[in-house]
Amino acid sequence: MPSLLRRLRDADDTLGAVFDRAFPAAGNPWRHLGALAFLCLVIAVASGIVAYALYDTSVSGAYESGLRLQRDPLLLGRLLRGLHRYAADAFVLLTVLHLMREAARGHFLGARWFSWLSGVPLLWLLWIAGLTGLWLLADERALYSVTATAEWLQALPLAADLLARNFLTPDALNDRFYSLVMFVHIGVPLLTLAAVWIHVQRASRARLWPPRALTAGCLAMFTLLALAVPAGSLGPADPGHVAARISLDWFYQFAHPLADLLSAKAAWLLAAALTILLACLPWLAPRRAPAPARVNLDNCNGCARCAADCPFGAVVMVPRTDQRRHPRQASVVEDLCTACGICVGACPSSTPFRSIEDLVSGIELPDAPVARMRQQLQSGIAALTASPRVMLFTCRQAGRHTVLADARTAVMPVECAAMVPPSFIEYALRLGADGAMIAGCREGDCEFRLGDRWVRERIGGAREPHLRATVPRERIALSWAGRDAERLQREVASLQSRLRHG
Amino acid sequence: MPDGMLPKPLRYALQALAYAAFAAVLGYFSTSPAYRLRADDEAVVKLSFTHAAQLARPCRERSAEELARLAPNMRNKMDCPRERVEVKVELDMDGAPLYRIGASPAGLHRDGASTVYRRLAIPAGRHRFRARLADGPDGEFSFTAETVVDLAPGQVLIVDFATDRSGFVFTRG
Repeated sequence: MPSLLRRLRDADDTLGAVFDRAFPAAGNPWRHLGALAFLCLVIAVASGIVAYALYDTSVSGAYESGLRLQRDPLLLGRLLRGLHRYAADAFVLLTVLHLMREAARGHFLGARWFSWLSGVPLLWLLWIAGLTGLWLLADERALYSVTATAEWLQALPLAADLLARNFLTPDALNDRFYSLVMFVHIGVPLLTLAAVWIHVQRASRARLWPPRALTAGCLAMFTLLALAVPAGSLGPADPGHVAARISLDWFYQFAHPLADLLSAKAAWLLAAALTILLACLPWLAPRRAPAPARVNLDNCNGCARCAADCPFGAVVMVPRTDQRRHPRQASVVEDLCTACGICVGACPSSTPFRSIEDLVSGIELPDAPVARMRQQLQSGIAALTASPRVMLFTCRQAGRHTVLADARTAVMPVECAAMVPPSFIEYALRLGADGAMIAGCREGDCEFRLGDRWVRERIGGAREPHLRATVPRERIALSWAGRDAERLQREVASLQSRLRHG
Repeated sequence: MPDGMLPKPLRYALQALAYAAFAAVLGYFSTSPAYRLRADDEAVVKLSFTHAAQLARPCRERSAEELARLAPNMRNKMDCPRERVEVKVELDMDGAPLYRIGASPAGLHRDGASTVYRRLAIPAGRHRFRARLADGPDGEFSFTAETVVDLAPGQVLIVDFATDRSGFVFTRG
């Protein structure tokens, strides 16, 4: 499993890098799949509210209301239907891609189990919401889909063979059917929105919205698509005739051919098995359980920087339990801690300049205490024999970059780039390094969500603890090469060349 | 220009291409490929009904010993079991069996109606159908109906059963 995950992560990184060629790093759509899916949900809901105002829920009026929109001479109806339909289709596609990507990156393990598990019901909710929406069109495809769904439901041991009888003849349906479907079609997306809220509960500063450029690009794409390829209705539903071929919306109606192919019962078994597998994945995969961060009260003044920077809300501020004068202290919720070390990088007491005998920070990773980090830094720089000497802090999640170590480059792997307190950079330069570099995951793609952002802000002086203004910025570089070792090598060489000539 | 970054016009062109590819996937799979529901020369028979069969056992009078064994408030003289028999249906086409089913009564006590819904593909054309239904404890077919129907490709023949309309009803779509 770990080697499979590593390979999948490499593939994901490569794919992300392909998009990096065209899109700015922070606006790479591959890294905003969840946010893009949410945008599509919002577009579908917003356009659905307008469509609802124009929809007639009677048997005789349902089909006609779709056609009325389609025939609108100003093309507004076509635009509305297209936006609603294509945004809903894109919601499925982006959600599945988001799921696959998060799975490939192992984001179902450890403290992330809640976000993963809460995402599983979303799949059913979005499918039900979309499928029922297609029924409201009351066309040939709607009749086929509703009948096929009824036949599928009838395969369940508890359901009688009664459902499909409702669609046998034109007289079998009454107006209440479309009112009921409309109720489901409105209610389930509202539930979906609530489920999304639950889904992101454990991620602090969750990126619900994609960057503006991507939002604008998607809106333009949906608009053009809606006008160029109208999302129209088929012929009116006729229970007395079965077409030889029918056009399906495969994003939602894939289940009907699947049930035909496998049998209705087998399709249920497959759906149940996949749901259970997805839900249980966090507990099926072998778990690496790194020790969670630990607060050292003697060195904690309750400044709350660790709580502000923790990407998973694992550090909370609580009333002081010792007799010190500070009103609060940090406390780690171990179940939520991913042991990324970002809190260590945020702690003002994680400075190597401190002269106390045993260097201990206010918050530390037991597996990588600050004292050991300082020792590694000292020995790494001391071992450099050629100039210009560069101290390279590399994020473990971005790959095994220790191979870059040579006579002029000392490499210090850390759990996350943001685990490096800015004072360590200054300390490295004071120890004799000519330059320092922090290398992490690709921009906007931090394994621990916010690491690259915090590093940029701390080094840029916009976030505490910041790098002191007296530290020469030309001797410092940041690299967001991710797992691309060659690119990192080029960027290290570029820094060395700058140091040599500058 | 950052490492690996392409010139701006080329990047914009690639972005447009990425959006176009995504739109193409959405546009295509929202309607295509068409799904084949039946062969070109096939018609469809839908056998569907809901019917409560007769009780499995008739009412009988309880003996004095049986009554004495019951709680005082349960001493009903007549014992009428609720269980119904299964409904047996045979549908033949052109003299050959097309579908056979024994539909169990619904409910935990098997006292509800039996329901059947089956979709059957048949060759289009002129066919003679015979439907028979048994709903009594003796298993004898008490309802029989025959019809000859000319079905065009895709046309649906609904075979329903309604006791208030004296048995099987064949409806062409």
